[in-house]
Amino acid sequence: MISFLRMRLAGALATIFGASLISFILLRVLPGDPVRLIAGPLASEQALEGVRRQLGIDLPLPVQYARYIGGFVTGDWGFSFTAGGPVREVFASRIAATAELALFAFVIAFTAALILALLATYRRNRIIDGFVRVISTFGLGTPQFWLAMILLIVFFEQLNLFPGPSGRLDASTLAPPRVTGLLTVDSLLAGRWDAFSQAIEHLILPALSLGFVPFAFLVRLLRANLLEMSREPFIVVVRSKGIGYWATHTRHVLPNAFLPTLTASGLILAELLTGSVLVEKVFAWPGIGALVVDSILRQDYAVVQSFILLTAVLYVGVSFLVDMLYGVIDPRTRNPVSQRG
Amino acid sequence: MRAVRGVSFEVRRGEKVGIVGESGSGKSALALSILRLIAPPGEVVGGQVWLNDRDLMRLREREMAHVRGSEIALIFQDPMTALDPVMTIGAQIVESIRKHRPDVSRKEARDRAIELLRDVEVPLAERRIDDYPHQLSGGMRQRVVIAIALANDPPLLIADEPTTALDVTTQAQVLDVLERAVEERGAAVILITHNLGIVADFCDSVKVMYAGRLVEQATPTDLFRSPIHPYSEALLRSIPDPARLEQGPLPTIPGAPPSLANLPAGCAFEPRCPLGRGVAICKNTAPPVIPIGQGVAECHFAEERWADNETMRKEAAADDRS
Amino acid sequence: MSAQTTIIKRTARPRITFEGVTAALRFILLDPTLLIAFLLMVLLVGLALLGPLLWGIDPLKLDFGAVFAAPSPQHPMGTDSLGRDIFARFYSGAQISLTVGVVAVVFGAVLGGAVGLIAGMSGGWVDVLLMRTMDAILAFPPLVLAMAITIGLGAGIETAAIAIIVTTIPWYARLVRSDVLRVRSMPFIEAAVAIGMARWPMIRRHVVPHIMPTLLIQAAASFGYAILALAALGFVGLGAQIPTPEWGAMITEGLSDALTGRWWVGVFPGVGILLAVTAANLFADRARDLLDIRAE
Repeated sequence: MISFLRMRLAGALATIFGASLISFILLRVLPGDPVRLIAGPLASEQALEGVRRQLGIDLPLPVQYARYIGGFVTGDWGFSFTAGGPVREVFASRIAATAELALFAFVIAFTAALILALLATYRRNRIIDGFVRVISTFGLGTPQFWLAMILLIVFFEQLNLFPGPSGRLDASTLAPPRVTGLLTVDSLLAGRWDAFSQAIEHLILPALSLGFVPFAFLVRLLRANLLEMSREPFIVVVRSKGIGYWATHTRHVLPNAFLPTLTASGLILAELLTGSVLVEKVFAWPGIGALVVDSILRQDYAVVQSFILLTAVLYVGVSFLVDMLYGVIDPRTRNPVSQRG
Repeated sequence: MRAVRGVSFEVRRGEKVGIVGESGSGKSALALSILRLIAPPGEVVGGQVWLNDRDLMRLREREMAHVRGSEIALIFQDPMTALDPVMTIGAQIVESIRKHRPDVSRKEARDRAIELLRDVEVPLAERRIDDYPHQLSGGMRQRVVIAIALANDPPLLIADEPTTALDVTTQAQVLDVLERAVEERGAAVILITHNLGIVADFCDSVKVMYAGRLVEQATPTDLFRSPIHPYSEALLRSIPDPARLEQGPLPTIPGAPPSLANLPAGCAFEPRCPLGRGVAICKNTAPPVIPIGQGVAECHFAEERWADNETMRKEAAADDRS
Repeated sequence: MSAQTTIIKRTARPRITFEGVTAALRFILLDPTLLIAFLLMVLLVGLALLGPLLWGIDPLKLDFGAVFAAPSPQHPMGTDSLGRDIFARFYSGAQISLTVGVVAVVFGAVLGGAVGLIAGMSGGWVDVLLMRTMDAILAFPPLVLAMAITIGLGAGIETAAIAIIVTTIPWYARLVRSDVLRVRSMPFIEAAVAIGMARWPMIRRHVVPHIMPTLLIQAAASFGYAILALAALGFVGLGAQIPTPEWGAMITEGLSDALTGRWWVGVFPGVGILLAVTAANLFADRARDLLDIRAE
C-alpha cells in the first residue's frame, strides 16, 4: 500500500513536471514574441524591456524554465495588465465566485444524476430509463455556452423567472461582509435573507448550464454501474434474505456501483473547469473563467498561462487524491487480505 | 423457453430432499422460482408453491419478502460471489435478522450473529464478525452464507450446489456444518446438486432432473441400487469410483441435454437413451408418471425395469438384514 | 491449397467491397440507434454539400435592408445584425465543423497510432519518453490545453484544428500501444521471432485487424469532441475569426442579440453542434455496445 502510494505520487509529480514543460514551451518557445504575449499589446517599450529582463530571454532555455517554474512555485505568477494587479491577487479575489458556482453546479448535477440513475435502474423502469438515456446522450453533445444562452432566453427574457446576466447579486444589493467569499454562506452568516435568496436566484441558471454536462456524464456512468452491480450474484442472496427491491438497490447495489464512479471525479473536475470558462462569460459571472476569456481576448497572457498550469496541477492532484480516497473507502484495498480462515 | 416444466414434489418438515441433474437441467431455475427471484426477463409463467397452506405464487410481493429469509432461505452456490464485498459479514447477518424481527436491538442482533457464526464453526467468531468477505477463505465464506440462511431459523432451506465451488476437504466440513445445523433446528432442506455422492450421504429422498422435468423420484437406497430411469442409471455410472478404476475410462453420457427451446415431442432423453433411442413410443409420446415402489419414474420402460430389478433388490435387502 | 490461401488473405486484410458497404448499410438501417445517427449525419453532410448549390446565398453577404429578419420562407433561419442569411451561415458552419472533425480524426488517429506503435515496438527509453509526454498532455483538461496551444500558435481555424489534434493524440497512442504490447507478448509471435521471422509485418498483421473496432469507436468519439472543441475555441475568440461562419463564433455573435428577442441568431448554430456531436456519440455508444456483446 505504501509503495503503491509512493509510486502513484512519483507518477503524479512526473506528470505535473511534463505539464509544466508543455505550458512553458507553448507560451515561451513557440513562434510569436513571448514578451509581447506576456506583457500584452498595449505595453510600453519600457514595460517590454522590464518583462525582457524579468524573463531573462537572453538566458539559455533550461535556466529560463527553472526561473519560470521557480516563480510559479513561489507564487509569482506575473502581472495582469487588464486587471492591473499581480495575477495571484486577481485570482484570489475571484476564486470564491468560481468555487461557489462550480460547487453549486456539482451538487445539482450529482443529486439529479443519483436520483435519476436510481429510478431508471430500480426494477428496470423503462420510461425513466429511456428518458435518462436520451437526456444523457444530448447532454454530452451540448455546448455549455449555448445552453446558457437558451436558459437565459427562456427563463430570463421570456418568463422572467430568474435574473439575467448580471453577476452574483442585483446591482442595488449590498454584498454581505466577506467571510468565506461564498455569497450564500456569507449572507447567511450575516443574517441577510434578502442577499441569500438573491444569491441563490443568481446561481441557478449558471449552475444549471455548468452542471448539465457533468450531470449527463454522471448519470450515464451511474446507470451503467448500477445495472452491472444489480446483476451480481450477491444481490440474489440479499433478496433471498427478504430485503425489498428498493432497500437492496440503495443499500447494496448503490454502494458497490458508487466506488467505480468515484474514479471519474477527475473528469468531472475537468468538465467543471473548462465549463466555467465558457459559462461565466455568458452570465458576466465575476469569476476566474470570465477573467480568462477576457484575458484571451485582450491578449493578457500572464493570466492565461497561470490558469493553464494551475488547471493541470489541480487536475492531476485531484486524480491522485481520488486514488488515495478509493483506497480508504474500498474495504478490499483498506484491509489487507488475511488467510487466517 | 422453459427451464422448468411440470415439476411437482413435496417436502415434509425435517426432510432432506436432493435434486440432481447435469448442468443446464434447470436445477437453479427451480430454486429461484420457489423464492420468486427469477431475474427479468425470466419469469414464472405458472404453477403453485405451497408452503403449509399458502400458495407462494399468489402472495403479494411484500408478503413474499417476509417469507424469504424467515420461512425459506437460500444457500447460494458460489461463496466467492454470494456476499456483498463492501459490507462486513456481521452487518450482512444482522441485516437478515433485523429485517424479520425489527424489535431486536442492534446489540442483540450482533450477539445473535456471533452465535450463528459459532454454530457454523467460524473460529474467533466475535473477531471475524467485523471482517469483510474478501478477508475470508472460500470455506469460511460459505459458512457465513449458511449462517445468513439460518439467521431466522427458517423451516425450509434451499441449498443450491452449496459445496461445488469448494475443494474436497472443505466440502466435507461445510456439509457437516450444514447437516448439524439443520438437524438441531429440524429444518427441511432441498439440496440441489450434480454430485450424487453428496445426495447419498445427506438426503432422505432424491429427485433426478432432466431437461426441466423430474424424471425419477426415489429413496437414495433404491436409486443407488436399482435406478429405474435410464438417465439416472447413466448418471450413477459416471460417478468416479475407485473400485472401478481399473475397468477403463469413466463412462460418460453421449450427447448433450436437449435445447430447452426446442424439446422433442416424446421423451426428452430419447436421443441419448441406450434403451429407447429410435423406439417409436419413446420418440412420439411423452412418458407418463409411473408410480414405482416408494417413488415415481417418467419412463415407458419403468414397470419392466422395476420387475427386472425386483430380484436384485430382494437379495440386497436380505443381505442388509443378515 | 490455393483456395485456402485466398481465405487467409481475405481475413487478414479487410477490403472495402461493394458487398461490404451494402451489408454495413443494411445493418445500420436495421438498428434504430445507428439509423438515427446515420440520418443526422446524412442531413448535416447533405446540407454542407448541397447547401451552396441549392440555396446559393453568400454567407458573408451583408444586407442592411433585412437586418434581424425573423425566420421566414425567405430566410429559414432568419438574419443577423448585419442582415446575413443565417441558413447560409448554418450550412457553411456545417462545412467547417465537419471538415475540421474529419481532419482531426484522420490526423489524430494517424499520429496517435504512430506514437503508440513506436512506443510499443521500441520499448526502453523511447517508450518512456513518448508515453510520459502523452501523460503530460493528458494532465490538462483537453479544452484548456487546446486553448493554450491556439494561443501559442495564434488564433485561427487551422491552429485550432492543430490544437484539437494534439489533444486527441494520447487517446489513440494509449490504445495502440497497449495492443502492440499484447500482441508482442503472444507466444506464437515470440516463437516466430525466435526462428528468425521479422517482427514488424507480423505485428502489423495482428494488431491492425484487432484494433480496428476500438479505433473506430475512439474516432467517432473524437469526432464529436473535435466539433465541440472547435465551437468552444471559436466562442472564446481563439478559433474562427469574424466574419467566418463558424458555429461557435456565431453563438458569440448571437449572444448579444439573444436577450433582445432575436433568439434565432445564436440558437440555430448551437442546434448544428448538438446534432453533429450527438450523431457521433450515438454511433460510438452503439458500436461499443455491439462490440461488448460480441466480446461476451
